[in-house]
This record gives sequence, structure tokens and C-alpha cells, in this order.
Amino acid sequence: MILTPGIIARLAALGAFAAVAQLVCFSKMDVFGTDPDVVLLVAFSVGVLGGSLTGAVFGFSVGLLMDCLLLETLGGFALTMLCVGYVAGRYRETVGRPTRGAVALLGAGLTLLGAMVIAAIQIGTGVDANVSFLVVRDAIVKSMIGAGLAIPVLLGVRLVVRSALVDERRAARRPTGPRAVEAP
Amino acid sequence: MYRKQVRRRRAVLLLLVAASLTLLSLYYREGSSGGPLHGAENVVSTVFSPISSVTDRALKPVRDLVNWFHETFDARGDKAKLQDQVASLRDQLARDQTQRQEAKELSALNELTSGGIVPDGTTPVTARVVGRSPTVWYSTVTVDVGSGDGVRIDDPVVAAQGLAGKVTQTTSNTAQVTLITDADSAVTARVQPGGATGVVEPDVGNPNDLQLDFLERGSHIAEGQMVVTAGFSTGDLGSIFPPGIPIGKITRATVEEQQAYQRVHLSPFADLRDMDFVKVLRTHSGKGSG
Repeated sequence: MILTPGIIARLAALGAFAAVAQLVCFSKMDVFGTDPDVVLLVAFSVGVLGGSLTGAVFGFSVGLLMDCLLLETLGGFALTMLCVGYVAGRYRETVGRPTRGAVALLGAGLTLLGAMVIAAIQIGTGVDANVSFLVVRDAIVKSMIGAGLAIPVLLGVRLVVRSALVDERRAARRPTGPRAVEAP
Repeated sequence: MYRKQVRRRRAVLLLLVAASLTLLSLYYREGSSGGPLHGAENVVSTVFSPISSVTDRALKPVRDLVNWFHETFDARGDKAKLQDQVASLRDQLARDQTQRQEAKELSALNELTSGGIVPDGTTPVTARVVGRSPTVWYSTVTVDVGSGDGVRIDDPVVAAQGLAGKVTQTTSNTAQVTLITDADSAVTARVQPGGATGVVEPDVGNPNDLQLDFLERGSHIAEGQMVVTAGFSTGDLGSIFPPGIPIGKITRATVEEQQAYQRVHLSPFADLRDMDFVKVLRTHSGKGSG
């Protein structure tokens, strides 16, 4: 991804909208007893499209905004989303452009990773009350929803940053007509 | 060149992780008394508050549509028969249901707070729930009234059916409400009839189950009994919840568990996952009207 000031502004707007929409809309939805974690999938998509560095910085920023909007412990969501953005970016850099199946699997896996990081932070900061087994069920259902939403969210984020993608630029430059016409 | 890129990537990653951990520990050390990080958080929340409010209203039809699908899935026995009819009326139905639900919730809220549970010196203010935490760990919601409306930390919050929680953070126009299902929540309560007292605590991750702990030995509690706030007051120390607010209904009360653990289970009256409006019982007079 080529990061120009325009693309950075688009990413900032995307992150802010995703964080606000997560809190006021997606978190209030009831899908199989839980709610979809769309903002995490947006961080995952930016990581896949922009690489580990862009993914990590985007994830950290959006996570920090979520912490502020929720008036919760600063750094909790920031650390979670940073992990998700970085891991997604590293996948792209080491394995290459993921197939549709891989995107769904990564979406599920990283949603589960996000739930585990949040749980680890909570346990690390001390939870006095009993913890129900439904926490595990919630994380698993959430990751399955993540698998289903990963492709549409990736396509949506791709639309937003399309002009900055190296692959798209190469495709645009590639000649479309038959080679025989180009030169005698 | 490649090595330089790798070094830069690692440095940024380390920097971000260190920043997250530093923020976590500094924020944790500040506690609930506040500090510069709490202040910065309040500023960001205040700035985004109008945007959240507008987005909440704009995306409400989308949310209602998804929730409608979920409810329909649950009632799939009737779905096939009604599908054609419902499809043509879906948009209109979503709008109508939203308005009706809001009116019903507001009416129930008014009934509850005008039924004598509001103690002298407190003024209820109606608030819309504009945000909800996306994890089961943080059982909190954000409401669209704040310190500017006279809302203060520790003010009790009631939903249409019963106790919802208490205010734990405020900005000028929003407040964070920690629900009774939050890991940190504990409410002194009384079982009616009978008068046995205990402390209502959550079962984290299971919003439909609460536990009434520390019951007096020898108290006989049966399923179906109602649990209300006790509102203890001893000298200067008093419960922040006024007495008599309905909390829930006893759902499991085995003799063994009562004798061994002095504990019974209850389900909350308030539907804490699906609240659109709540009332904050202001303990100080505010400028807003409720």
C-alpha cells in the first residue's frame, strides 16, 4: 500500500467510523447470542492490504479510540487490535495474498485471538467474580461470525483504499488488447 | 535495505506494545479517582459524543433489521407461513416496532420510578443508551446524559423492569453505566417475602444469571421469590442504591447450595442486553429535566 496523505486521511476516517459504528450499532446487535466484532475485522483487513506496520499502527490507533469511547482501561483494546493488525500484515508479507478461504479462516482465528488477548488483560488486571463457561462459547461464536464477515469487510476496506494498492496500480497499467496489435 | 525495513518494523512494533502496556499500567494505577489519562479519555469521549449520537440514530434501522432477523430465526416455526407477508412489510414493521418498543420502555420506566422507589432528594433523568461494550468482560453501556445534566458517579440507574447498574464515569454529556452483570458489581439485596439479605454478584459471561451470596444461615428461600435492593445504611456508610428497587427473581435455590455456600441464583428483571432507555436517579439536583 502506498501511503499518501490522502490515504492516511481515508484510513483515519475509516477507523473512526468503524470504532463508533462498533459501539453504537454492531455491539447492540444480537447474532446467535453474541455480537459481531466488525472493528477488529477492519484492522485485520488493513493489515492484509497494507502490511504489518500499517496494520499495527492502524490497529493501535483504532483500539485506543475504542478505549476512550468506552471510558475503559486505556491500552486494552489498543494492544488487542495492534496484535490483530500486525499478525494479519505478517501473514500477507510471509505467505502472500490470501485466498478467500484463507481470509475467512484468518478472520475467525484473529477474532479468537482478539477475545483471548482481552481475556488475558482482564485476568491480568484481576477479576474477582466467577467466570462462566459462556465466555468461551461467546468467543467461539464470535469467531465463526468473524469468518463469515471477513470477506465482505475486506472487500469494503479494499474499496476505501483501492487507489493506494500496488496490485491495483499494476493491473491498471497492464495492456488489455492483443499483443499482436501493439507492434508490427 | 531489507534489513533496515525489518529493523524499522520491529522498532515500531516494540514501541506500540510498550505504549499499550504503559497506558494500561498508568491507567490502572490512577484508579477511579481520575488523573491525566482519565481526563484525556473524557475529552475524546466528549468530542465523539455528538458523532456517536448521530451515528446511533442513523444506524438504528440496520441494527433493528439484524436483530429482527435473529428473532425471526428463533421463531422459525412460524417463519415459513408468514415469510411472504413479512417481507413486504419489513421496512415499515422495523420502524413501527422501534417506535412502539421505545414508547413501551419509556412508559414502563415512568411507572417504575413513579411507584415510590425514588427516594427523597433524588431526581430521575431519562437517558438513551448510545453505546455498549463489545466484550462480555466489560458489562458497561454509555448513556447520553452526563455531568452537565447533573449526573454524578455512583448514581443508581434503573431500566424499565428493574435495577440496571450505577454510573461509574461521566463526561459533560455522556456517562458510563456499569451494569449489575459486570465483574466488579456487588449490590446488597433483600429477598421478599422473608427479608433474608445478601449480596447480588454476577456470573461473568452469563447475563441471565446472578448470584445472591452471603445469605444468613437458616434462611429458607424458594424459587420465584423476588429480590430487591436492601439499601442498608449504617452511620455515614450507606448503600448507593435506595431500598426497594426490583433486581430479579430467584430461579434456583437448592437446600444444599444454601447450606454449603449460603448462595442462591436469580435472573435479573431488566433485559440488560436490549435496553434503549434507562433512568438515572440523580442524587444531586441537576440543570436538566427528567
